[in-house]
Amino acid sequence: MYTLSGVGKTFRKGDATVAALQDVDLTIEDGDWLTIQGRTGHGKSTLLNILAGLDRPTTGTVELDGRDLATMRERELTEVRATSIGFVFQSFNLIPTLSAAENVEAALVPLGVPTAERRTRAAEALASVGLGGRVQHLPSEMSGGQQQRVGIARALVKRPRVLLADEPSGNLDEDTRDEIIQLLSTLREERNLTLVLVTHDTTLAYRAPRVAVMRNGRLMMRRDSRTDKAVSDS
Amino acid sequence: MFFLTFLRRELLRRMHRAVFVALGLSVGVGLVVTVTAASTGVSNAQTKVLHALYGIGTDVTVTKAASSKRDGTLFSFSPGKVPVRHNYMIPPPGLGVIDGAAVARVAKVHGVIAAAGAMSLLDTDITVPSQSQLSASGKPPAGSLGNHFTVNGVDLAHLKLGPYASGTIGSGRSLAASDARSDVAVADAGYANAHGLKVGSTMSIAGHDFRVVGVTRQPRGGGSADFYIPLTRAQAYASSPETKAVSDKIDTIYVAVTNTAAIPAVRTEINRLLPGTTVTSSSSLADDVTGSLTSATSLATDLGRWLAIVALITAFAAASLLTAANVARRTREFGTLRTLGWRTRRIIGQILGESVVTGLAGAVAGIALGFLGAALVGWLAPELTATVAQNPGSPPSENITLNSSGMRRSISPYSTHTINVHLDAQVTLAAIGLAVGLALIGGIIAGLYGGWRISRLRPAEALRRVE
Ligand SMILES: Nc1ncnc2c1ncn2[C@@H]1O[C@H](COP(=O)(O)OP(=O)(O)O)[C@@H](O)[C@H]1O
Ligand SMILES: [Mg+2]
Repeated sequence: MYTLSGVGKTFRKGDATVAALQDVDLTIEDGDWLTIQGRTGHGKSTLLNILAGLDRPTTGTVELDGRDLATMRERELTEVRATSIGFVFQSFNLIPTLSAAENVEAALVPLGVPTAERRTRAAEALASVGLGGRVQHLPSEMSGGQQQRVGIARALVKRPRVLLADEPSGNLDEDTRDEIIQLLSTLREERNLTLVLVTHDTTLAYRAPRVAVMRNGRLMMRRDSRTDKAVSDS
Repeated sequence: MFFLTFLRRELLRRMHRAVFVALGLSVGVGLVVTVTAASTGVSNAQTKVLHALYGIGTDVTVTKAASSKRDGTLFSFSPGKVPVRHNYMIPPPGLGVIDGAAVARVAKVHGVIAAAGAMSLLDTDITVPSQSQLSASGKPPAGSLGNHFTVNGVDLAHLKLGPYASGTIGSGRSLAASDARSDVAVADAGYANAHGLKVGSTMSIAGHDFRVVGVTRQPRGGGSADFYIPLTRAQAYASSPETKAVSDKIDTIYVAVTNTAAIPAVRTEINRLLPGTTVTSSSSLADDVTGSLTSATSLATDLGRWLAIVALITAFAAASLLTAANVARRTREFGTLRTLGWRTRRIIGQILGESVVTGLAGAVAGIALGFLGAALVGWLAPELTATVAQNPGSPPSENITLNSSGMRRSISPYSTHTINVHLDAQVTLAAIGLAVGLALIGGIIAGLYGGWRISRLRPAEALRRVE
């Protein structure tokens, strides 16, 4: 469970500072599905990076199960990333020199999983995203949709509790987009994952019980099925 | 191990980049190996020259300058009614004689292992033509200039010391302690070939028939004497119109010391014991060597070293920058790995692994280049010459002219001695070790530099980097 309070993030751009996040308060329960929307440059990725422990907020606290990622030591943060958080990128970010299976295996390396187990788990993960037959292919030999499936398998092979996806369908063509979102939705349900999905272009995403919008670094709830009411723009 | 899988994939699938870095390193390494090989070759050549001049095993020599310089006409004649043969052997005018007893005193000096006395002599075998044999222009008949050669009296108790020790017996046998009372000689191969002498031939030295028992070959350019005979025989037969008998006299003492560090003290002590003598060591002799070998030595040590250092720094800088550029291009990849929970240390290890393997490849290629460079140096380098003003213990050159007005013999007491050596650039194991070490260090530096640069980035920043 995530508890964010008063989270702000400013970047320095030359002399000016950019407030990428301002005063974000947010609670995400275990097993929640939150979709975040918003136009480019409004802070969605910044928020997701902070949730993933890839960046630290300038102000505020980011608690994951009671531990503050904002002040956690780098070593522990690395461990949290290795064990608890799966991350899916817009541009897949597969290692170009590694095969599909090896890319998935890379996520198990920091956990010290023995080689044989690493192989079987990677194969299982690839099978679970429908890529059982392409394990030896290089990223360059796969379509965008297939690469993103590898990306998802890689995020999930460690069996994390949280899955963060930053515009996972952003680089895909229309037909593949819904497939990927559908896959994430299915996997979330099967594994009872906490899913934070940044996307803006598909109705599927609206199946999420909670939908929020980022605008100028501020997070606003659009709809929250927990309180069962639409939250209007302010 | 995933480390190795990843390493192999990176190196094989991005081979051109690794090859580029390795080639850069190999040029630097190759130059270092070549320069090291060349300077090893030069110092080998120098050792060879010093051995040729000095005698293997000799650390210090003791000589004495002649009390009065004798040169010009040492011997003159007026042609008579019949030809007259003269055959005599004299100490060279440039060198003074030392009492034989000095050898024993030198041998007792602290730090001296052994001391050997030796005597260099000039032998002249000439037949003065009769008046009727001289042509109208006063020219003597062909062949009447006779035979001139140099003889070295060798201390039979210390055959491993002095110029005799530098030679290798090609045929026959060496001199032995039991030869003290025999008229036996070992001939220099150069002289023997020129005069058709073989083992068993008889040679007239100072009017005595000597049996040639062996033929010795001196190292390139060596040959401090044409014949080596027992010292006692040399002392017994040497004489000349203007010198007294030389029995129990020597002109050079060859000294071996316990270790090179003892040389200065030994020199001082001998100078004190034997006032008026000149004590030289091979290092002091090396200082007196002139000619292209000396220039080559300073070239190898000065220019060569700088060239190698510059090449190495350039190669290292290039390899480091290339590696850093390769790493920078993969920044997002490393950001991804950190998202997966990889520790910075593991990522740096991966980069280090790649750059170390690349460095080793560079070392192998560099060693190959080094061998090529060394071969080129050996092939292209001109013959080196070394000239010493005074060659301790060897007789000066003699020049005899003969005409109607008489015979004139001139001797340049301080003759120069020039030796030609070929430069063999030699790749040594140490140079190879150095090359591998340098390339490894280069790889490690390059890898650490690249790793350090990406480890400073927050993962989120690394992920934002576009290639
Ligand atoms: N590392 C950074 N350095 C400087 N500015 C940044 C950095 N990361 C994000 N920003 C800025 O923060 C704002 C929000 O960016 P981002 O979170 O990527 O937006 P979104 O994902 O919604 O498109 C933008 O103005 C962006 O330029
Ligand atoms: Mg974004």
